[in-house]
Amino acid sequence: MRFGIFYELSVPRPFAPGVERTVYENALEQVRLADALGFDTVWAVEHHFLEEYSHCSAPELFLTACAMQTKQIRVGHGAVVCVPAMNHPVRVAERAAVLDILSGGRLELGTARSSTWSELGGFEIDPDTTKQTWDEYIRALPRMWTEERMSWQGTCFSMPERAVLPKPVQKPHPPLWVTVTSPGTELDAAERGIGCLGVAAASYKEQERRTREYHRRIQSCTPVGAVNENVATLNFLYCHEDAAVATRTGMQMMGLFGLANAHLLFTREAYPTRAYGSLANLAPGPGPRGREGSPADASGVPEGMAIGDPERIIRAIKEWESIGVDGVNFLLNAMEAIPQAQVLESLRLFAREVMPAFAKGRGR
Amino acid sequence: MLVGTADLETFARGAPRLDAFPDSPLTLPGVELLQATFELAGSGVESLFPPGLHPTLPVLAVFAFWRVDQGPLGAFTLAQLRLSCRSGARPRQLLVSSFVDGEPAREALNTCFAFGARAARVELARFYDRAEARVSLDGRTLVAVHAGAPLPLATSDLQFFASVHPAHTPKGLRLVQIDAEYALTRAERGKPVLDAFDAAGFGMPTLRPAWPVASFVAIGDVTLPRVRFVVRPDVLAFEGTERVS
Repeated sequence: MRFGIFYELSVPRPFAPGVERTVYENALEQVRLADALGFDTVWAVEHHFLEEYSHCSAPELFLTACAMQTKQIRVGHGAVVCVPAMNHPVRVAERAAVLDILSGGRLELGTARSSTWSELGGFEIDPDTTKQTWDEYIRALPRMWTEERMSWQGTCFSMPERAVLPKPVQKPHPPLWVTVTSPGTELDAAERGIGCLGVAAASYKEQERRTREYHRRIQSCTPVGAVNENVATLNFLYCHEDAAVATRTGMQMMGLFGLANAHLLFTREAYPTRAYGSLANLAPGPGPRGREGSPADASGVPEGMAIGDPERIIRAIKEWESIGVDGVNFLLNAMEAIPQAQVLESLRLFAREVMPAFAKGRGR
Repeated sequence: MLVGTADLETFARGAPRLDAFPDSPLTLPGVELLQATFELAGSGVESLFPPGLHPTLPVLAVFAFWRVDQGPLGAFTLAQLRLSCRSGARPRQLLVSSFVDGEPAREALNTCFAFGARAARVELARFYDRAEARVSLDGRTLVAVHAGAPLPLATSDLQFFASVHPAHTPKGLRLVQIDAEYALTRAERGKPVLDAFDAAGFGMPTLRPAWPVASFVAIGDVTLPRVRFVVRPDVLAFEGTERVS
């Protein structure tokens, strides 16, 4: 089991001078601690224009800072939005390679296509095309990293023969992932031989189905590069010796995150399209039954959430492990609702009491 | 998080009366729909919403037109302007203006649902290459839109959201939630163009629909069901949502 921390970098209103800097500095302090405690990966999303919810528009810069301030923890650039208006594929390959070099071969690269109209509309991107551009990117990126020179004749971009430089440290290339929100994307991941980076809340039952399908389908994949057969899920983490305190604090964080997420303008709400099959709600909603079909236990915490005392969290993660999940990435805070000292203490307690209950590993 | 800051007294003054919640659904057969969506420009969008609602970012101005040739209310054409928002975590559209061309229907919709619809000339015309709609009052055009480049979609590709609008109800001043149900047989997406918009004529002089998003034309049955929920406009939905028995 691999443990990661995951950043949206949410910033609460009012946007007073310095508040964004505080959010970034708090996150960097958490990353340094997570590195020292033995967490495996720090992930940072790419979002644009999402007021309060995510002020993480240049994750490669944040992750470079993370890499420079840590020794072991891997840096998850995830997910890069694979549409040309936001990121030309050559620039994605170049930035990723530099980050892999600077981090000493610690890069994981997540890919995505964006799910909000706020973002797609802001760049005048046609939502109908994003699945196609994503597919083209993930086929092109491994070639840019592994071939001395390459050319490309495609639909969303073309280029004459060039050397895309520098090349990443990891050989043949850094692990590739795709973010999974809607059901079905896990099959897209499997068919291309890339990792399944869950960013949507799913019940045990639903995740078990997705994981089983993923592992079955990847056996006959057409790999875009080196196969990364791993499934990671997204979770919240608030660990405290006193279960009642943990529940109260963790549920507040979860509720705020869910509320902020619910206020995003999802693509399908604005733009009728076949390319976005659902509203793609990435987060649990507020309240004790935050996730569809996901019952809460007596504490009111929805099943599977890493909110509680160490014993409860171990039980929850053991369940994830038993259904084939290889890694869990944790959101540690939302809207700075939890004071920084408590976030750090939660991380320490998790590392001290929960981590030893799990064997460390890279998965498959 | 942004919440509405509209003055409740002003909000209350403009709200129509709903003497009784409708006790049976109203189905309108074979409705032709045109919906054109634009992003609003300008800061301070929260002033358009009561404190019980959150604006989306950006706020979408949704112009919805229905042409009904027959049915329980007779022939009529309706136009509505709605603004995208959230009631708690739920996606909603705040209905800010309604116009109906067809007096019996206008009266019935105002009595049963408190749409507060004004009488106006409302036109909706559908062609193979475009659709056009217009609202005019006393010879003055309040809004004119057209949508071109139609692309067929599955009817399930369209997404509809419940609307809310203020009314003086038996429970007091409330936002009345209308969960219209759509059974569509045809859908096309298009590119909308706002040919004219008289914000003052809509009673919202600061409203600036600026950036075209999408439009669609659809055909099908529309049902306005019984009102199941109302929301207090002064507090957030987690506290202010009430079931209508």
